[in-house]
Amino acid sequence: MRHPLRIASALLLVLLLATAAAAQTTLWVTSQGATLKAEKKALSGTVATLTAGTALTVLETDAKWYRVTTPNGQQGWIYRGKVSDAPPAQEQSGSGGLFGAVTSSSIEAGAADTSRSIRGLSPETEQYANSAGSPQQNRDALDRLMALNVTAPELERFLQDGRIGEYAE
Amino acid sequence: MRTPTLMATLALLLAPAAEAGWLDSISKSVIKDLGGVKQEQPAGEAKPKPSKTELLISGVTDVLAGAAEVPYDTERVIGESLALEGFARYGLPVDDPELQRYVNLVGNAVARNSLRPTIPYHFVVVDSPLYNAFACPGGIIFVSSELVRSMHDESELAAVLAHEVGHVAHKHALGSIRRAQFLSGVGKLTAASMKGNQGQQFQGMIGDLQNVLFDKGLDQKLEFEADLAAMETAYRTGYDPRGMVRVLEALQAKEASATDKKGSWFSTHPPVGERLTRLRAVAAQYPDAASLSRLPERFAAQRAKLL
Repeated sequence: MRHPLRIASALLLVLLLATAAAAQTTLWVTSQGATLKAEKKALSGTVATLTAGTALTVLETDAKWYRVTTPNGQQGWIYRGKVSDAPPAQEQSGSGGLFGAVTSSSIEAGAADTSRSIRGLSPETEQYANSAGSPQQNRDALDRLMALNVTAPELERFLQDGRIGEYAE
Repeated sequence: MRTPTLMATLALLLAPAAEAGWLDSISKSVIKDLGGVKQEQPAGEAKPKPSKTELLISGVTDVLAGAAEVPYDTERVIGESLALEGFARYGLPVDDPELQRYVNLVGNAVARNSLRPTIPYHFVVVDSPLYNAFACPGGIIFVSSELVRSMHDESELAAVLAHEVGHVAHKHALGSIRRAQFLSGVGKLTAASMKGNQGQQFQGMIGDLQNVLFDKGLDQKLEFEADLAAMETAYRTGYDPRGMVRVLEALQAKEASATDKKGSWFSTHPPVGERLTRLRAVAAQYPDAASLSRLPERFAAQRAKLL
């Protein structure tokens, strides 16, 4: 009677160990500008700034933070809102584009935007505006809108001032 | 002796996995709900499949697979062109640089935690008496001054902007118009070549987008999808995700007295009551929603400029 029970218990343990191993959680960075922190506090030191799509292995969970390892072995804490259990979609850009190549890095850096205030509308948009007879005031409004850029440090200050997300604690 | 030891071992083994999975469980529940959205037609009332001609005439169908392949730079030019028409239809930006910067900070805060975090986003409040917000492909997002006036805190603004970011992330607009398919049939299109036949096709496509975004509205299931994306994105950022519910409750209260509904969320979006029913069910799945940020004071300082 005892023997089959022990085997069953052992099997159960093996099964559960296997399940736990399979559930060894991988999370992906899904936020732009996500940072790996030395401690589970937004204002602690930054270990690394991670690229969206980076796979992370979860070592520990505490409240709204995960302690993780990056593919190159860096360890630290990341806020829950910066990760997901599925990788983010890859951006289609560059080759095959109708209007010429834009590299993904230039999209990420917002480089296409930073020059807006000096060069005005893109030639293609200008062409559309001419064909459609867009009034000058609408073109100016678009130009000003595209020239308005929010920098990463400015955004961090804004979140910190509002005690939002990782800055709430 | 052995059994408690075994149980303790198991408990230790399973605890981290269970804890690490709480975020996943929310994502999955939202995904499950999205699945539910797809089956919105009640059983036994299945609509007959429209003919190809009907689809072509109506323009609006399911999101077309080709939309996913339009490169970002093309999408951006489409968005800029449509934005020009947005100013023509709904009005010019409110002349207050501080307000515009504030809206861009809230918008970018949610956008970088969205399903499409790596492209630049631009947000603009336009001077309009209609309750409206819409997203141009590529990340240019409009919100009307009247809709901002109807809000009570920053979490509500964050929710509306995250809803629009959701449309951009899912490429809903471009995927809803058949004419966008011409994009896959042409090579590199330049400002010069846009003067010819391709230019006419491009203009026609912008016309179709205006028809969908300003008048007919997107397919209802795409709106529900954006509503769910809004709650999830606001939550991930640290805003109370129920901001979306409160915006719609305020709209519902104003619906009867709204004199001009054409071109507003009342005419282009699913019935407010139906959206609320779905969203309230999802809101219950965010256990700590009440502890997250709402920021009524910071918002009020900016809203005051619209009064």
